[in-house]
Amino acid sequence: MIECSHVYKKYKNGVNALYDINLSVEQGEFVYIIGPTGSGKSTLIKLLDGEEIPTKGKVSVVGIDVGKLRHSKVPVYRRNIGVVFQDFKLLPSKTVFENIAYALEVINLPKSLIRRRVREVMNLVGLDEKGNSFPRELSGGQQQRVAIARAIANRPKVLIADEPTGNLDPSMSDEIMALLDKINREYGTTILMVTHDLTIVNKHRKRTIVLEHGHIVADLKEGGYVQHDQ
Amino acid sequence: MISRIWRPIKEGFLGVFRHGAMSLQSGSAVTITLIIISLFLIFTMNVSRFTKGIEQSVQISATVGYDYESAENEDRISLAIQAIDGVDKVTFSSKAEEFQYYLNSFTDERTKEAFRPFEEDNPMHDAFYVTVRDGSNLQSVAESIKGIEGIESVNFGGASAIQLVNMLESIRTGGGLLALALSILAIFLIANTIKLTIMARADEIAIMRNVGARNGFIRSPFVVEGVIIGALGAIPPIILTYYMYRSVYKFTGGYLISRMFSLIPPEQFLPTACAILLAIGVVVGLLGSFFSVGKYLRWKR
Repeated sequence: MIECSHVYKKYKNGVNALYDINLSVEQGEFVYIIGPTGSGKSTLIKLLDGEEIPTKGKVSVVGIDVGKLRHSKVPVYRRNIGVVFQDFKLLPSKTVFENIAYALEVINLPKSLIRRRVREVMNLVGLDEKGNSFPRELSGGQQQRVAIARAIANRPKVLIADEPTGNLDPSMSDEIMALLDKINREYGTTILMVTHDLTIVNKHRKRTIVLEHGHIVADLKEGGYVQHDQ
Repeated sequence: MISRIWRPIKEGFLGVFRHGAMSLQSGSAVTITLIIISLFLIFTMNVSRFTKGIEQSVQISATVGYDYESAENEDRISLAIQAIDGVDKVTFSSKAEEFQYYLNSFTDERTKEAFRPFEEDNPMHDAFYVTVRDGSNLQSVAESIKGIEGIESVNFGGASAIQLVNMLESIRTGGGLLALALSILAIFLIANTIKLTIMARADEIAIMRNVGARNGFIRSPFVVEGVIIGALGAIPPIILTYYMYRSVYKFTGGYLISRMFSLIPPEQFLPTACAILLAIGVVVGLLGSFFSVGKYLRWKR
């Protein structure tokens, strides 16, 4: 589902972010990517969602060579993956309903189907009542749930979550984790979650990939990562 | 399919209202510019009409020598004048007609009577009246007519008429150039304002790409918004031009100083002028938003 082979990334300003990353994630897996600040987690996400191009090597997601995409084709590729960001990235001038519906409008689904799908995912994330609210009227946890709803609305095969609990308190974080777990189980969505919250990693055990200074230093199939030199 | 056409239009309208302050800002940039353009439009189109009017009213009169007063000479000279480049119309007036015309220029009967005896031995000449297509070649046409055998003297409005034509011509060209320069300046001004309004939404555009929106899908509502703002911005100048021009026309009675400077009637001038103003507003809004969004589409991959 996700394949990285010998991926290097060096930014234009000379910063080396990733060295020789080799990674393979199967369909239906739930994988954590952890590591301290500056370890290259965000760069890896950007390579996966097409925002950055690898300096060397090949990044392939759902069979698409992401690094070779033309600028205008990047959004079309993104319809195959859902991305959840730490800062939610909701459209401030659209309501919750419109925000979720937007991701479906762009792929030209018929209106009736859009309405059904939006209601379905709003129910899944527990926000049935908030359809007409604007993002600024919601709490951080609620906004993140809207972002997750938007990301899964068109049933992508892969969901990438970049620090989805980064701005949330522990109880909210647990709710989000339960939600991601549910999506992983019920839809069989492959989930790649970047985090530096070790509590979560140790509590909800999944395959864990550890990044440090741009290298993969550990790939723990059973999960759980106690030590961390931060 | 229908929603593909309606969505950007709907979103565009919503955008205008949701970003009211910015719409107002870009709209007023369009308004101010179009008012200036409107003034230049009124000026240049009218000057253009003055010039045409003068050019048409200026005519050359050529008298025929006494030795050439015959029907065949009349035909020959007429054809020769007609053959000159730039000649519009040639009218012949016989010496009898000329005398009558001269006589009629007196209003009191006594003077008319005093001149009657001369009718027998008419001192007037046969004459040709020539109008030219373009006032700027008045001089050269006059020279050519003078060269025709049998022509005794040539007369036209003279140097002052040519000078007036030339002056109006240069005012018109200068005004046109100034209007053009202002329009270009305005496009930059408006594109910049629209760019500012879109810059505030660079994040929004990046998010749209994040959730899988194609560039055209993102761009179309912004372009519609630009067109709406451009059109709305054009409304005040159109209204202003409409009432201002009508009242000026009414106030002046339709001409300035003399009949030679007659203004274009409002019903002739206003539809064209308003259409031009609206078109400029729409085109500027369209181009301004199209290029501005393009830049922010490329902001992030």
